[in-house]
Amino acid sequence: MPVFASCGEALALGLASGPACIAACGPVLVPSLLTERAGFRPHARYLSAFLGARLLGYLLFAVVAWELGVLASMLPAPRLLLMGAVYVLLAGVLLWYAVSARRSCVQPCAESNLIRIGESRNRGLAGAASLGFLTGLNLCPPFVAAGIRAAQLGSMAAAMLFFAAFFLGTSLWFVPFISLGCIARNQAVLTVARMAMVLIALYYLSMGIAMLLGKKTYGY
Amino acid sequence: MATDARNLPPARPAPRGIGWSLLLTLPILIWSFLMFGNPQVHADRQMHIAGAITALFMTVLFFMMMRTRATYRWRRIFFVSLGLLFPVGFIYNLVLVRGTMGIPIEEMIAGRTPFCFMPIPLLILPAAFTRTLVFPGSIASNSHGMAAMVGIWLAMTLVLGKGWCSYACFFGGIEEGVAAIPPRAKIRKLDPRLRLVPWAVLLAMVLLSLALFEPAYCMWLCPFKAVSEYVAARNLLGLIQNIIFILLFAGLVIVLPFLTKKRTQCSWFCPFGAFQSIFNKISIFEMKIDKDRCKPCLLCQNACPNLSLSKESVARGETLMSCMKCGACVDVCPREAIVWHIKGTQIAWKPERARLMFLYGAWAMAIMFGGSIIAQGLAAILHIVV
Repeated sequence: MPVFASCGEALALGLASGPACIAACGPVLVPSLLTERAGFRPHARYLSAFLGARLLGYLLFAVVAWELGVLASMLPAPRLLLMGAVYVLLAGVLLWYAVSARRSCVQPCAESNLIRIGESRNRGLAGAASLGFLTGLNLCPPFVAAGIRAAQLGSMAAAMLFFAAFFLGTSLWFVPFISLGCIARNQAVLTVARMAMVLIALYYLSMGIAMLLGKKTYGY
Repeated sequence: MATDARNLPPARPAPRGIGWSLLLTLPILIWSFLMFGNPQVHADRQMHIAGAITALFMTVLFFMMMRTRATYRWRRIFFVSLGLLFPVGFIYNLVLVRGTMGIPIEEMIAGRTPFCFMPIPLLILPAAFTRTLVFPGSIASNSHGMAAMVGIWLAMTLVLGKGWCSYACFFGGIEEGVAAIPPRAKIRKLDPRLRLVPWAVLLAMVLLSLALFEPAYCMWLCPFKAVSEYVAARNLLGLIQNIIFILLFAGLVIVLPFLTKKRTQCSWFCPFGAFQSIFNKISIFEMKIDKDRCKPCLLCQNACPNLSLSKESVARGETLMSCMKCGACVDVCPREAIVWHIKGTQIAWKPERARLMFLYGAWAMAIMFGGSIIAQGLAAILHIVV
């Protein structure tokens, strides 16, 4: 298949499955973005780190899966293990985020430019990159669909190119998240975001442990 | 100054005359008997009796509201009755139809899960993104259908705002009843940050419902599963889910309301309550504090069952966004400084008229929705006893 045709197909697949990607990444992305400072620039910076690391996760998975020959058909047990591990790690990073994202006020009643909501000690963009990388490894349905298609290509390079184009298509759907920068930040927004992160982390943790133990994730 | 105000007895406005009170109650009397007096609808004898009792009950309570000019205590009688009788009627019906309170996976796959209003905020984003309802229930096939519940909720919400939580929610009555038992609160100092938890639960559950394509709150965190429809546990995870439901119910609906005299589940946990708060912005009714009359004794803050008043909000002359319009603050204010208010009018503009306008809407809907649930609960008791 010509490279352009394959890239076009991957781009279209990414664009078509963007809403599913947003849905899968939303619980991680929205609360963590809300702990950032208000404004487009911090949000764009955060999203760039998140998406860059997500691309890295995609490509790493593509390389490893290609080498192991499991890109098209990963057995249920290892898939469950991988997802369980990703969920547990996501829970860990989210909990770290929730703890580290705090209002660091230089001094009480200081001027507003001295109060940096959400900018915490030594976190930088590492948190965004960690979350992006882990969501890149998350085997969501569109990702699996892309994997199956990429496996039919002739070489690893072509498969990686396919994943990169797929990533580009899905990433366009993430651009509106920058608008979360318009939401004014105050202590209430930060606290709500941190509490939500803890809840989501606990949810992921329970799901992850159940998957790692090979248990059903539904009690019915 | 604050001490002087605190020493004042609660306002006791002169009772309205019986004739005038009866006249004001007449529309509610007619509405009640229109709702419950139709023999074709309630062909069952027990249901007929239960309907008549409910109609009388709701009418008498409204009459007392008119006569005494107090709202909270009479509303509370209705609300606690609703909270206690809902599980009775619901469980009776479940056992009759299904033979058990537990919901097995087969029922979920068949879309026969009864729908309550709690998942409404969880359905919006998945429906918007994928045109799919992430709830295993039917849209319009029976009285528990989603369409009926969403329609009732929307109608009430547009009129009452978060008044839904005081005049329609069939879950809040249990904790309000428990909170009424102790003479005074054992825990008085409450961290104001806890008010933010419902927003966090709402955010987390909306996002997880979108990601996992399931009503995450119903699956894991609803305390009222303990008294309505639990998970028919078939493995360890199911058991853990049920333990979570029971612990949340025991903690938030029984123990904490008893210790704090507050509706702690509503104030500190319920994501639907947070969602409803948004609609307070569009409802025409609100509570206002006349700053000229108010000597900030903060009796209203202590009386509020939902922590919807703070020192700052009282100073601003308004309640917080989470106000449920239950009337507790109005009834307790010794200076009649807190009033029902219609947006766009002067604060001092005929507050009793604003209260009446709110109460007619709220009570009419309470009869239609909560009254039907009370009648079903009473009918279930009659079926069992007689």
